Parts: sequence; C-alpha cells; structure tokens
Amino acid sequence: MIGGPMSEEKIFTDLKNAIIELDDAKVVEAAKTLIDQGINPLAGIEKGLSSGMTVIGDQFNLGECFLPELIRAGNTFNAGMKVLEPEIMKLGENQSQVGVVVLGTVTGDVHKIGKEILAMLLKTRGFVVHNLGEDVSLSTFVSKAEELKADIIGMSALLTTTMPAQKEVIDFLKEKEIRDNFLIMVGGGPVNQEWSDEIGADGYAETAEEAVRLALKLVDTKN
Amino acid sequence: MLSFYEVFYRFLEGPHVAEMDYDLDFDQKLRDTVNKYGVKYDPKNPIPQDDQLADNVFAAGLEFYEKIGSYCVDTLRVARFTKREIFEALAEAPGEPVFGKGKDAKKLTARPPESSRAPWFFIGAAGAAVTDERVLSAIVEGYGLVPYGDSITTPSITRINGRPIIAKTPLEILGAIRTVEVSKAALRKAGRAGMPIMNAISTSTTDASKIAGSQFGLNPADGLMVGSMSELKMDFQRLNEIAYALHAGSNIVAESGPLLGGYCGGPEGVAVANVAYHLQGILVQRGSTHFTFPIHFKFSSNTTRNTLWATSISNQAISRNSKFPLLTSGILASGPGTEMCFYENAARTIATCVSGGGILAVGVAKNVQTDHLTPWDPKFSVEIALATLGMKRDIANEIVTDLLSKYESKIPDAPVGKSFQELFNIETLEPGAEYRELYYQMKDEMTTYGLKFAT
Repeated sequence: MIGGPMSEEKIFTDLKNAIIELDDAKVVEAAKTLIDQGINPLAGIEKGLSSGMTVIGDQFNLGECFLPELIRAGNTFNAGMKVLEPEIMKLGENQSQVGVVVLGTVTGDVHKIGKEILAMLLKTRGFVVHNLGEDVSLSTFVSKAEELKADIIGMSALLTTTMPAQKEVIDFLKEKEIRDNFLIMVGGGPVNQEWSDEIGADGYAETAEEAVRLALKLVDTKN
Repeated sequence: MLSFYEVFYRFLEGPHVAEMDYDLDFDQKLRDTVNKYGVKYDPKNPIPQDDQLADNVFAAGLEFYEKIGSYCVDTLRVARFTKREIFEALAEAPGEPVFGKGKDAKKLTARPPESSRAPWFFIGAAGAAVTDERVLSAIVEGYGLVPYGDSITTPSITRINGRPIIAKTPLEILGAIRTVEVSKAALRKAGRAGMPIMNAISTSTTDASKIAGSQFGLNPADGLMVGSMSELKMDFQRLNEIAYALHAGSNIVAESGPLLGGYCGGPEGVAVANVAYHLQGILVQRGSTHFTFPIHFKFSSNTTRNTLWATSISNQAISRNSKFPLLTSGILASGPGTEMCFYENAARTIATCVSGGGILAVGVAKNVQTDHLTPWDPKFSVEIALATLGMKRDIANEIVTDLLSKYESKIPDAPVGKSFQELFNIETLEPGAEYRELYYQMKDEMTTYGLKFAT
C-alpha cells in the first residue's frame, strides 16, 4: 500500500462514508483494508457501517432522503458485511445486535411501503429485521417469531377490517402461553394507542420514526 | 387501445422481475426521467404557474411509464407498453363518462387549469371508518344533502351485528352488502336516489366482497373503485374486479396514491409518477376516471407544501394533456371542528381547483379516526371551489402560501378534532351551535382572500 497503513479512524470514516454515499465498491475496499490491517471487524461494523446507517436514518427522518436510499444503504451495508463476516466467524465473537424483529402486514392487508420504511429504519439502528412481507398469516407470524427467537413481533394493519388480525396473533400467543416470550408492537393508519391497549400489545407508534424509538425503549426495558 | 385481456396476458407472459428489483428500477428510472426533463420542486410556489413545466411533467410521466410498465405481484412479471400503445390509450380514453341515474346523471369531463367551469364534486372521506350502520346512514344522507355534490364515496363500517368486521371473512361480505344497501337508502332519503356512489364498498379488501356488495343495489352508472398497489402494481384480485366491472358494463374509478417519501422519492418523483398512474388508469385499470391522492409518508396527509406542489403540477400536467377525467382527494392532517381543518381544506381545494382537477372532498384527521368526519367538511370544500372558479394560479399561489403559514408547522401534531356525533345531531343532521359558528367564522375569514360566496 502506497503511503503506509491507514489509521483506524480513516478506515472507519471510509466505511461510514461508503454507506452514506451508497457506494458498494468503496465499502468493500474499506472493509478489505480494515482486515488487511488487522483491525477488529466488530469495531468496523460499530464505528463504520452502523455509524453510516445512523446518518442515513437521520437524513430520512429529516426528509433529506427517501425509502430508496434506505434500501440502497442497506444493500451497501450488506456488501460490507459480506467481507467482514468471515473474519468475525474466525474470531468466534458475536456481532452485537440491538434485537431481532419479525415484521409484517397482517393477513388480508397488502399495504407495504410504511412497513418497508420501518424495516429499514430499524436496521439503521442495529436491529436484525426479518421482513415477512404482506398478507402474513397468524401461523407465519408465530412460527417465524419462534424459529428466529425474535425479541419483537411488529404487525402493521392499514384497514379497520384487518386490525382484528393483530388481536388474533396476540390471543393465540396467550393461549399457547408464549405471549411473554415476545414484545409486540402494532401500527398502521387506523391503529392507535387505545387499540394497542385493548388487544394487549406492548406498544403502538404512529410513525416509523416513533416506532424505532419505541422498539429501542422496549428492548432496553426488557434487558 | 389494447383490450383488457391483451393487457392481462402481458402480466402472464411479460418478463419476470423480482419485486425488489422492480422497486429499485422504479426509483432509478424515475430519478433519471425527472433529471432528464428538469423537473424541480419550488417550495416558494406550492401552486406552480409554468405551463412548460406542466407539459414537461406530462412528457416525463409518459416516458417513465413506457420504460417501467406495471407490475403484477402474483406473477412477478412486468407488463410494458410501447409509446404507440400509450398514445392510442390516451386518444381512446373515456372523455365524458356518465355517472348517476335520472336527474342525478351527469357527464364527468376534464377541465383545464384556471377553468371557470365547476369541477366535479365527489363528496366524502374515502374509506374513513365509522362505527356502525346508524352512523353510516346519517353521514351518507348528509353527503346527499351537500349542495352541488355530484357523487359520493361511502365510509367504511367497522362493526356489524355488534362484532368487528374481519377481512377475508363472511363478515366482510356482509359488511360490503350492508354498506351498499344502507347508502342507497340514505341517498333516497336525501332526495338523491340517482346520485352515483363511486366507491361504495370501501369496507372490502377482497374481490369477492367487492363483487358481492355490488350485487345489492349498485348499478353500472355507479362506479367500482379499483385501486393500484404502490407503486404501479396490480394483483389478481384487482384484475378480477376489473374483469367483473367490464363485463357488467360498470364505470370503474381507477384509484392511485403515490407516496411521497416512498419509492417515488420527493415531490418531483410523485408528480411524474402521478402521470404514470393516469396512464395505468386508462390501460390497465380500465377506468372511466382517474382518482388520485398523492400522500406524505410521514404525515399521512396531503396538505404539506411539497405534496401540494406535487399534486398541483401533476394535475396541471394531466389536465392540459389528457381528456381522461381526473379527480383528486384532499386528505387533511387535522380533524373536524378545528380551525386548522378549515385552513387545510381551503388550501387543498384551491390548489386542486385552479390546477384542473375534479375534487374529492375530503378526508379529515388523516382518514384514520373512527367517526371523525362530517358532511360539512365537503360542503366547505364545495363553497371554496365555487368561489375559486376562474382564479389565476398566481393569485391561488399567494392565498395557499398564506394558508400554509397558518397550519404548516402544526401538521406533525395536528389536532384530531371531534367526532360526527359530538359536532352534529345525528337525527336532524344539523351541526351544533359551536361547529356552526366556527364554520361561518372561517367562511368569513376566507372572504379576506377575496373569495366571494354566493350565500
């Protein structure tokens, strides 16, 4: 390498900027440099990649960028992770994660974009998100939450006629006596705090931004 | 124009594309087209006054739709159309469909920006929830009594037989049927038996319940509303509804709701995508009219400065270049009985009216608070629109800019207002003294902008 080794700070900054600039090639190059110089890859994630995702999330919340940028930043993040993950495995360390979320729009409802925004914003704050998609059945919510050992089940409903499906999932979990294994968040146009309380969810948020704050608060309280 | 089944076969035989790839391709092609045509948001002018910009937005929308096509989420295929096929569709699109029966029958026609001809008044808060049939009946009768109303959209009932309506169940079928029966009876009570219901079955999430509901009192002169999924996506259920409506000879209302902050990106993308939706409304949704409601991703309303701009310029683009009639819905952040609701309503109505749109009046409280809707919110919109006829866009821009200064900062925490039952007597359909006083106070305030009311 011409000019000798880069400083850790410079590499972290390159990783962060690669996310902000949505530059897959740059993130791969910076991640490889980090490994070549023997820097802990977990630090690269925390101080580089995740830091960049936080900036993108903040920009989104301020209306300075939109859903496509969130998705592309997520793709750039994944490109960097592909380089770093084998090194993390070698070290036998676990990547710190805020929590695992299974997220979906309930059965009968095909509204998508608000949930997509939440999925991406949660990722920018360090959650591992399993987006189950739309028109998600009760059984899929429950089986995926159990299989993935989810911390949070997030259910979106945009129609008054699909809101009862949120209650169905919670009722089922209660009857199976596994309700307390999960934190449950509900959202969507007609959903409100009153409904959330009525069906026994752990929380409701009106916007994706508020939902991220709620998720952080819920996992923090749980831990 | 391509037949509906030729379009459908493209959804069966077009190129396979993964949904996320389509979404990102949508974003990239939209950005490229916006840049190519120099479409630029101007926050200082929520009502743009540049005809060339409007025509550029239309040309951009046409080129974008030719490139991106429509997506089918059931086949994961894209139906694309050539420029010639799109132009043929524009040329052969319905130009003056008739909605309604008897004395309530009327042609719905496109109107240019700054027109002195009254827009179509589509009365109601599309899809807003009400608790039960009793409230539904009162609200719809109230809609029927709104002067100059041309058609209505019904609210969605949330309970039937004392139970919540659940999607994809027999209760949804029953809810759809009762919505039609109750609404038709309510319009008869209002003396508007032939007034068309252009969205009678907003309770429905399935093709089965929509078609079932239509068997209990709807006729072809009403309208079956068929929505697009965001963005530019269809599924078999929606295509089934279209097939049914076409064979029943029924008017279709082709609905779209491009999302600011989603795959459309910012206001420029929303404006161009709205034009693409107009074209999809003709070719794929087979509409008699295009009904659109660009909406802000965070505030679930469309009275923000950037959504007003996007809606205004796309309305101008469409109304200057297409005879296919356009209706635009206002969705207000605030709820009934608040000053903010009147300010938002006035801004949205003026913006649509001078930009060449027909008016759906009006979603309030983001259309999500049960029973938070009244017949006098659309009445206010109608009065404002009639006082705006022939107004120049530069004057409208000044008024809307001033109205924005009164409510813009309050949008994130907009007041939900009060329910219909709190503001009105549900038996007499008369507003209470408090609401009536506020209504006329706000109407008086509007005269300070030079608006002149007939009464």
